[in-house]
Amino acid sequence: MPENKRRVIVEMRHVFKYFGTLKALDNVSLDLYEGEKLVIIGPSGSGKSTLIRSVNQLEKIDSGSIVVDGYDINDRRTNINKVREEVGMVFQSFNVFPHKTVLENVNLAQLVVRRRSREEATEISKQLLLKVGILEKADQYPHKLSGGQQQRVAIARALAMRPKIMLFDEPTSALDPEMIGEVLEVMKNLAREGMTMIVVTHEMGFAREVADRVIFMDYGAIIEEGTPEHFFTSPSHERTRTFMKQIL
Amino acid sequence: MAPVKNPKTSSKPSETAVIAVTDGPAIPLKKDTGLFTAWRIAFFGAIAVVLYLVFFRSDPYGKILAFLPDGIVVTFKVTVLSIILALVIGLFTGLGRLSKNRLINGTASLYVEVIRGIPLLVQLFYIYFALGRFVNVPAMWSAVIAMAVCYGAYMGEIFRAGIEAIPKGQMEAARSLGMTHAQSMRQVILPQAFKTILPPVGNEFVALLKDSSLVSILAVSDLLRRGREFASETFTYFETYTMVALIYLIITLFFSKLISVMEDRISAGK
Repeated sequence: MPENKRRVIVEMRHVFKYFGTLKALDNVSLDLYEGEKLVIIGPSGSGKSTLIRSVNQLEKIDSGSIVVDGYDINDRRTNINKVREEVGMVFQSFNVFPHKTVLENVNLAQLVVRRRSREEATEISKQLLLKVGILEKADQYPHKLSGGQQQRVAIARALAMRPKIMLFDEPTSALDPEMIGEVLEVMKNLAREGMTMIVVTHEMGFAREVADRVIFMDYGAIIEEGTPEHFFTSPSHERTRTFMKQIL
Repeated sequence: MAPVKNPKTSSKPSETAVIAVTDGPAIPLKKDTGLFTAWRIAFFGAIAVVLYLVFFRSDPYGKILAFLPDGIVVTFKVTVLSIILALVIGLFTGLGRLSKNRLINGTASLYVEVIRGIPLLVQLFYIYFALGRFVNVPAMWSAVIAMAVCYGAYMGEIFRAGIEAIPKGQMEAARSLGMTHAQSMRQVILPQAFKTILPPVGNEFVALLKDSSLVSILAVSDLLRRGREFASETFTYFETYTMVALIYLIITLFFSKLISVMEDRISAGK
């Protein structure tokens, strides 16, 4: 199927973002299609996180436009909370709520934002906890869980909103090596179900298996994009080649 | 706090010098298992002295003790009402100090700066007589309002610090789920902040309890004022104020201990 027949769900045009004098995003334009799995790679400080965080406006951009699911998120009239309901996010540092049990973590936004009844929310939460393989921990507090388990709770929590897009900001970077696999497995399952995903990661095995498209960023700009195979076999830019050598 | 070691001066493993000057009495650490800690000596000593005086010198000490309970009740009333009101003021002040809205932030900061720069006794006079000019507020309530306005400023700083201590990612996670700023505060940030806030709030409670003796100048019959009333009729100044001091000491030591036990419970439950 030619890509231009599919619906664009995230559209970024000439996006600039500065932290003081540092150019974090340098004229970034990008189309993300519904159902697409996009992996963003690049050295630290290259703007990957800023890019993904600007999709749900955790970072406000300085100029350019970002349209998410039909909402122009920089329009003052847009209710950003409505956009965020449709965009799930998973963080490097998990950010599960330590004062709530696993089940309460997944329930919270369903009750407060989606206004589901407690029974309905709990039903959905339990299905999702089963799906990420952590249902037996439902009544535990997060500090009793391993990093990998916490991250899977965070994924379930985001999925509970039934989002149209999932953002993963280096979801395995803070994990011990033996726990990376379980989190990637959950993400792969999600990809197989057709979820639209943007993933910032250094896991090239994951990129190769899951990504429809890979973007390489450096100094806030998109340097190169293509299929995972393209990056493994014949990256065209010198900087990309250097980076690929370093991480493989 | 990472211990800073100076190899030149310390032959033995050096402990970091923590200069903790608080308003409250020193509570024995858990590891301090000795029977004769300063706290125990002070607390049980004070009780023993009171008992001795009341039983063996019942004139005038027994009479004094019988005269004071009404005052103790008033002292507690002022303290509890003030701390509740101060908590409410402190919450909004703390949130205000963190607000990105410049007007709100500026107002909250100004309040804190002004209040912290004026002695409590002066504030008490001021609010009592200033309020009295416009509305007729019972002395008890102007005392409570004055104490709460004063302690609310300090409480605001405690709330601010408590909220700031919560990792930024918590707010981001809540917001990324579509929760509003207010919902995120209520559901995610404040419940976590309360845990860190509780110990300093406890200290404020004890400090406020002691400072509440200042309201005795405002025709509020608290513990100190009851003592003064008794003393001025019987001319037993020394005996009465001895008793008043001992009762303050016992109450303060008791609450300090209670708070430290609560702290332990909370940190153990983490």
